[in-house]
Amino acid sequence: MRLKAVVPPKTQPMFHRVLDADPVVVRATLTDMRHRFARDVCDDTLGRLELVMAELMNNVAEHAPVATSDRLPVIHLCIVRHQAGLACALADDGVSLPDACMLPRSLPPAIADNLPEGGFGWFLVQNLTQALCYYRASSRNYLAFNIPFMEREDENLS
Amino acid sequence: MKFIVEDAGAYLQIKVTEARIDAAIATPFKDKLREIVVKHRKPVHLDMANVTFMDSSGLGAMIAVRKSLPDNLAIVLCAMTPNVERVFRLTRMDRVFDIRPDAIQKEANE
Repeated sequence: MRLKAVVPPKTQPMFHRVLDADPVVVRATLTDMRHRFARDVCDDTLGRLELVMAELMNNVAEHAPVATSDRLPVIHLCIVRHQAGLACALADDGVSLPDACMLPRSLPPAIADNLPEGGFGWFLVQNLTQALCYYRASSRNYLAFNIPFMEREDENLS
Repeated sequence: MKFIVEDAGAYLQIKVTEARIDAAIATPFKDKLREIVVKHRKPVHLDMANVTFMDSSGLGAMIAVRKSLPDNLAIVLCAMTPNVERVFRLTRMDRVFDIRPDAIQKEANE
């Protein structure tokens, strides 16, 4: 009996990075991430990915516990291109996410003479992701989600 | 943080030179732009053509600048790139700001 020929696993573009939760480092990481997927993912999807990643990673930076720690939280980031979109996983050792982040968010009320200057971040994340999951274990936050491709983009997958 | 400021008579034309308005620069961006618009006391046309990325902290900075304009003076955002336009659209801030697709045109008859 002969073995069937081994089908090599499909290789897809991936991006993995371990970084300090600092806005300048986040910015450089986003630029690298964009370069990694530039040839394989359309601009619209890359734009949505970049915005979600910026919101989530800068959120870790913004809420870093200053008083109790002499170092910045560390973020682990992994993105893989799949058939239906970009599968993303983020882990960090920053403070726990408030429950409200995972509850359906609406926009802060736009009162004409007193417009909100914040409160948009989690709304954008929820709006641009699919299958957003969160859990916390061993002092780490874990987030997983998908950035879907728009129609037709998946046809380019070889 | 650099802005190219030009007095066009009826309004102040400001070109944003930064490519990214994100958490790394949102606060100095807001402070510098606010200082410019408060000093000149004129309607503002902001040329956004160079800005390829903006996140919610950048949006917050833009809203703060709009709120700082004295006497309800107008602020017009021109030539936004698709990534920046998306943030305004999703947060419905495209209804609050006056957004124009084209680059700033010099008005011939001024």
